[in-house]
Amino acid sequence: MRMTPKVVVVGSFSILAAVVFVMVCWPYAHRDMTPSEIFRPRTLVEAAGRAIYVKNGCVYCHTQSIRVVDWGHGAERIAQAGDYVGDRPILLGSQRTGVDLSQEGGEHPDDWHIAHFVNPRYTRPNSIMPPFKWLGMESLNTLTQYIQSLGMKKADVRMARQRYWKEESIKAYEAGPDVNAKWLADIVPEGWRNLPNPYATTPAGLKRGQFVYQQFCIGCHGPIGDGMGPAQPYIYPPPLNFTILKGREISGGIIYYQIMNGITGTAMPYFKRELESQKIWEVGDYVAVYFINQSDANKDPCGIDASWEPYDCPDGAEARQRNR
Amino acid sequence: MSSTSQDTPKTYKTARAFCLTSAFWFTMATSAGMIGAGYLMAPDFMANIEWLHFGRIRPIHVNINLFGFVTPGLLAAAFYFLPRLLRTELYSERLGIVSCVLWNIFVFAGVIGIAIGYTQGREYAELAWPVDILVGISFGLVVFNLFMTVKQRKEPILYVSIWYACAAVLLTATTYCIGNVIWRPDTGALLGIPDAIILWFYGHNVFGLLLTPLGLAVAYYVLPLVCRSPLYSHTLSLIGFWSLLVVYTHIGTHHLLQVPVPTWLKVIAIVDSVAMVIPVMIFLINIWYTVKGKLGVIYADIAGKFIFTGTIMYFFVNIQGSIMSLPQVQRVTHFNNWVVAHAHLGVLGFAGMTALGGLYYILPKITGKPLYSRFLADLQYWFVLIGVVGFTIGLTIAGLIQGNAWIIGETLYRTLPEIHIYYVARASTGLLVAIGAYLGLYNIFRTLFFNPGVSK
Repeated sequence: MRMTPKVVVVGSFSILAAVVFVMVCWPYAHRDMTPSEIFRPRTLVEAAGRAIYVKNGCVYCHTQSIRVVDWGHGAERIAQAGDYVGDRPILLGSQRTGVDLSQEGGEHPDDWHIAHFVNPRYTRPNSIMPPFKWLGMESLNTLTQYIQSLGMKKADVRMARQRYWKEESIKAYEAGPDVNAKWLADIVPEGWRNLPNPYATTPAGLKRGQFVYQQFCIGCHGPIGDGMGPAQPYIYPPPLNFTILKGREISGGIIYYQIMNGITGTAMPYFKRELESQKIWEVGDYVAVYFINQSDANKDPCGIDASWEPYDCPDGAEARQRNR
Repeated sequence: MSSTSQDTPKTYKTARAFCLTSAFWFTMATSAGMIGAGYLMAPDFMANIEWLHFGRIRPIHVNINLFGFVTPGLLAAAFYFLPRLLRTELYSERLGIVSCVLWNIFVFAGVIGIAIGYTQGREYAELAWPVDILVGISFGLVVFNLFMTVKQRKEPILYVSIWYACAAVLLTATTYCIGNVIWRPDTGALLGIPDAIILWFYGHNVFGLLLTPLGLAVAYYVLPLVCRSPLYSHTLSLIGFWSLLVVYTHIGTHHLLQVPVPTWLKVIAIVDSVAMVIPVMIFLINIWYTVKGKLGVIYADIAGKFIFTGTIMYFFVNIQGSIMSLPQVQRVTHFNNWVVAHAHLGVLGFAGMTALGGLYYILPKITGKPLYSRFLADLQYWFVLIGVVGFTIGLTIAGLIQGNAWIIGETLYRTLPEIHIYYVARASTGLLVAIGAYLGLYNIFRTLFFNPGVSK
């Protein structure tokens, strides 16, 4: 084959033209732009927030692309082509340095996001997102409106839930510590309320609890558990001061349930995706021992002591008797 | 090496200008990379600086690398070898200088644009519309200059390097306009899923139709000259060239395997990604057989050393790429640092090292003097090599940790502390590359301007 300039130009252009036709034009001609059942158009504020998102390169760390293999946040909704029919440009992203945001809307209340943008480590001590305080409150609010719209109609349902419980939680907080502590206990299902922490308080367990606390809780509740972490100025109702809970019959089960499920409407997120059972019980015991100064760990009813448990449950003899 | 460098009084102004462009932007690209690596290591580092934060410094880093460092470096060599292989002058050195100045203006404008928030927000297609037009003009001028040089040639046979160089600039000028949706100045994007398809068609072709063909052109030119060996097979170069154009252009959709795009499109992308072993191995067989038995000569020649190393990286990055395109593999490797390692292996390990080799090959020829410092060039070689290898290993491990953790149900926040140490390792090895870039700039600057060396 004699390679002349004509052969190179005509040959390579023909190949490119054929490939563009097959790989770009053909799928474009057969594109399906039917909106999916969760699609809704963005409001003007949300569109403005999206422009901020694009301008600041959020897409380089956050995908909006839920896959079949995903477990994390948003995995209940595998992405469909119809979810993206309003996106120009589409912001699928190519890397998850941070979490996927497809279904971020309504996951947290607005104030959580503001604290998170001011410094991501205020609400997520492990985060490696750079701070966006420099955007200024007005832009942060606009950006938050966009984030809260991610997930479209599904996000709207979650946002309605956030707003309802935000009001309830503010009511409880403003009624004073007595009412607030009672409200926090009463919203936990009864079975959990009567459950003591099934793990024994041990130095090793407390150490593990502290480790979890520092990675997940310290930004809001603060190093001494008084709710004065760096996120506190941005959050309302403010993070709970654990020290008010002494003598209010806060069981290990209540603490566990609130950590696991979070308190929608407040900045307290659920941790059931992040933390396994043992981690939640032990961080709960850490809070109970050090900040509430009152722990029901390893109290009756205990059932059969687990084989690795360092101490017999103090009431275990009774339990053993009863269960015989 | 060739002793004919002074046969005709050529000035090589364009090649010189592109040399300097590449060496300068290499320092800027690695500096931007270091800032980005710093953020990932310690996110409050340089906190609240609007135009430097991670979301802006990352696209700045990527764009400078592609359009400031690697492409001009490879073009510098092309502006040297085209006239030589064609036994003629460059069509117009003046036009070449103009294109180089415009080239620098567009890189600079693009960087400033991204830094102050003018971005289209599409990976590899960030540059705003006015900058896109500048890119188009710059590419157009280069295309025109190279093709007019071909037209006025005195050598009837076109060597393989010329096919690659001409096809690269011509096709990339085209795909750049398509991928940047140049007919929509306001957003530079399509609506919905088709936007992802067109973006990744273009995005992968930045490597497939620009960096790779230009890099192969340089390797095909320099390595046989360094070894004084004739090219192993003309037939293999032919098959390699055409198969590269056919196969590489199809594979962009492998970025979208886990996205709702038509399945047949994914199948084509996977099949062609695997088929990439054909053009890649054809090139490697051809070039490795050409240099067979001459590794000592290559090791003794700084340009040969860089470019031969580039071919080894080319092997690894492409085998890795083929494997990564398999859906089962991608379930683990997608969305994490594995891909970042892969990108660095390709752009820095293969194309970047080849560009540096090209620069060190042509510099003594176009100045008529030896390099200012062979030692500095050697030091740069080792810094870049250790840097890119360490970088790739570290980030690949981090990627495997992330990907495997996610797939068994760990949440992202839980994996962040696990990979922190690898971000530290990446910044450390990246620092070597950055130091290498500055050494290179000094060396190339001194070679061009204040070179005490005696003329040959």
